Amino acid sequence: MGRIGRRHALPGFGLTLGYTTVYFCLIVLIPFSALFLKTASGGWEHFWETVTAPRVVASYWVSFGISFLAAVVNGVFGFIGAWVLVRYRFPGRRILDAIVDLPFALPTAVAGIALTALYAPNDGIGELLKPYGIKVAFTQLGIFVALTFIGLPFVVRTLQPMIQNLSEDLEEAAACLGANRWNTFWRVIFPALMPALLTGVTLAYGRAVGEYGSVVFIAGNLPFKTEITPLLIITKLEQYDYSGAAALGFVMLTASFFVLLLSNGLQSWDNKRKGLG
Amino acid sequence: MAGNISLSHPASALRLATAESPVARAVLITITTGFFALFLLLPLAVVFQQAFSKGAEIFFKTLQDRYTLDAIRLTLLVAAIAVPLNTLFGLAAAWSLTRFRFPGRSLLVTLIDLPLWVSPVIGGLIYVLVFGAQGWVGPWLMERDVRVIFAVPGIVLATVFVTFPFVARGLIPLMQAQGVSEEEAALTLGANGWQIFWRVTVPKIKWGLLYGVILCNARAMGEFGAVSVVSGHIRGKTNTMPLHIEILYNEYQFAGAFAVASLLALLALATLILKTYAEWRAAQNLRDL
Amino acid sequence: MSITILNVTKSFDRFAALKGVSAEIATGELIALLGPSGSGKTTLLRVIAGLEFAEGDGSISFRGRDVTRLSAYKRRAGFVFQHYALFAHMNVFENIAFAFRVLPHRERPPEARVQRRVTELLEAVQLEGYEKRLPSQLSGGQRQRVAFARALAIEPEVLLLDEPFGALDARVRKDLRKWLKAFHEKIGLTTIFVTHDQDEAFEVADRVILIDKGEIQQAGRPDDIRIRPANDFVRAFLDLPPIEGSKVQGSPPLPLRNP
Repeated sequence: MGRIGRRHALPGFGLTLGYTTVYFCLIVLIPFSALFLKTASGGWEHFWETVTAPRVVASYWVSFGISFLAAVVNGVFGFIGAWVLVRYRFPGRRILDAIVDLPFALPTAVAGIALTALYAPNDGIGELLKPYGIKVAFTQLGIFVALTFIGLPFVVRTLQPMIQNLSEDLEEAAACLGANRWNTFWRVIFPALMPALLTGVTLAYGRAVGEYGSVVFIAGNLPFKTEITPLLIITKLEQYDYSGAAALGFVMLTASFFVLLLSNGLQSWDNKRKGLG
Repeated sequence: MAGNISLSHPASALRLATAESPVARAVLITITTGFFALFLLLPLAVVFQQAFSKGAEIFFKTLQDRYTLDAIRLTLLVAAIAVPLNTLFGLAAAWSLTRFRFPGRSLLVTLIDLPLWVSPVIGGLIYVLVFGAQGWVGPWLMERDVRVIFAVPGIVLATVFVTFPFVARGLIPLMQAQGVSEEEAALTLGANGWQIFWRVTVPKIKWGLLYGVILCNARAMGEFGAVSVVSGHIRGKTNTMPLHIEILYNEYQFAGAFAVASLLALLALATLILKTYAEWRAAQNLRDL
Repeated sequence: MSITILNVTKSFDRFAALKGVSAEIATGELIALLGPSGSGKTTLLRVIAGLEFAEGDGSISFRGRDVTRLSAYKRRAGFVFQHYALFAHMNVFENIAFAFRVLPHRERPPEARVQRRVTELLEAVQLEGYEKRLPSQLSGGQRQRVAFARALAIEPEVLLLDEPFGALDARVRKDLRKWLKAFHEKIGLTTIFVTHDQDEAFEVADRVILIDKGEIQQAGRPDDIRIRPANDFVRAFLDLPPIEGSKVQGSPPLPLRNP
């Protein structure tokens, strides 16, 4: 390994890139091509039938729709949270900052049963809300709560460094020009943070759409009402409908791809706006 | 109109032009604390509360149960295989992506994030499609009595897929920010590749590496969706801790399920603490440059 | 508008940035606050602007009116920042129009008048036609002029410039120096600018206030200071020859603090 490569001064190019590529092919590329091929091999009709079946479409509304709501709510409260954590000092701030990462670190199944226990009608918050006729567990509201839980860190962690890097002279300039705090926020601070906010919301959305473990316990999994698309994939596998499962997997993959494109697009829009090309 | 004629008022009592009113601050802090406590802290607290809800006896009994111990063993085994493999991958990927320029580099960087974008269920699905009964290689393997799906190798594969980005993502920004100059200096002084790696690079990246490994491990032990697809849910054989939790829960053994869950919750807390520490040390390293 | 600075003290943590500073600035003067880094000159400027507040019984008065407790957004002091602080997501027009947009509803002028004012201001800084550009599309000198125009939009009675040419290269600096002097002559606005560059201060300003370690070392017209430096700091900072022994040529130096 002491030989210096022809093009690269530092050694190890061949070895490391080789290992990386091989690993990647084995773990990612080959299995994913199996997905595409299986989808294709089922034939167009079967594909279309599967992905547009009423029960499946209902699951799209649940998975994609509720994820969207959860992402938006995370956008609002995550923004406030990020602002508070960066700009204010108060007792307990460090603890609050540390637990933001909890949904990252906690296994999804643990979160799933905990949320269910918390919001089921016989205990905890579920019990508190029962007299008001509000049911959380085993309803779409429960799914919403679970998806909000797992999406929160994405918004907060994306915004925090941006808020930290906000140049204070922008706010001072606005103040010298006669803007009160509210005006300064709306016209100067918020627009500057908008791309980061959108990126965080997009990430939260992408994660929520594919989420399984945290949701599947609290959802109740009633067809047409509280079934999420990943669950349907598993159902199809259990019925040995491999090409059906692959078809749904393909749909979810395409959706993830678009979310990724959107997120990258937002990044380059922001870069262009800042003159970074 | 702000204006207070008292002349010997301390300056700190005046609000800077760039600060919100105390009322606004209090409101925002309350909203944040309330929201975070409700959505983040309560579920965590519930895990422990439920685990002991039927008394400490059930708690310990579950943990000593044969199937629980098997699940714990399997979880540890899977992590012991997946984490080192992914650590190697992370090191190799970070080295090749941050030390060299080549076509397709940015594509590779994006692809490394793939498992984070994709539903974990898909992470299991793809291996079923290759190794399962109707898969490519499945029937061929089954003739030779090699089981991947519904057996431990499948679980390892699915876990490897879901967790391979973490070490790489911990290392790439760090190594990028640190730059190549030290390695190049070592090169001019006659060090070969391994020497450069061990004596120069590793000491610099150790905290970033630790950070990535901690996250990789946490996810490997806690993965549910992908593993659920490839496992046969066979008690004692192909159940990891998260799957075991699911089984106990579905059998209405709630206290037992939460008992096992509390172990994982403790792991999560340890992960958070270690991760924060490693992050802090890595940032310090960068500052000292 | 005249400005009176009386006994202004300001500390950050335990670092005393300003120690009982006093000065008198007449209407229409162009003043340079000159000193090395850490001398307190920027702090003084920010206290005048209302971005920091003086401690104890120090006071700032505009035209005899005490504004010490008044926050920046009520003082109507035009402030130009060292790094321009232009709003990156707004084009040039919107940046300059910002001051109008944030006026309380009743005082807000109709759009036509805003347009007219912005155009006038752009002409005053020689940037007609740049309305739609984004700050990222402008050169450093152009951004600086937009920052000027923006500060002027509030029709301030004093213009405060924090190292206005600090971030620009040497040739652009020279051009902008001349421009500033000409601009001041035309508009006649009381202007205070902070700089560590003595050539800049001496070329442009009517009067120079030298600050070091939070205290005013000397204040006066550029020529007067050169002829009669008040103390060793002034001499060293301006690279003037030291006085030999105890034989003093010419008149003795002026007292340490000049209002």
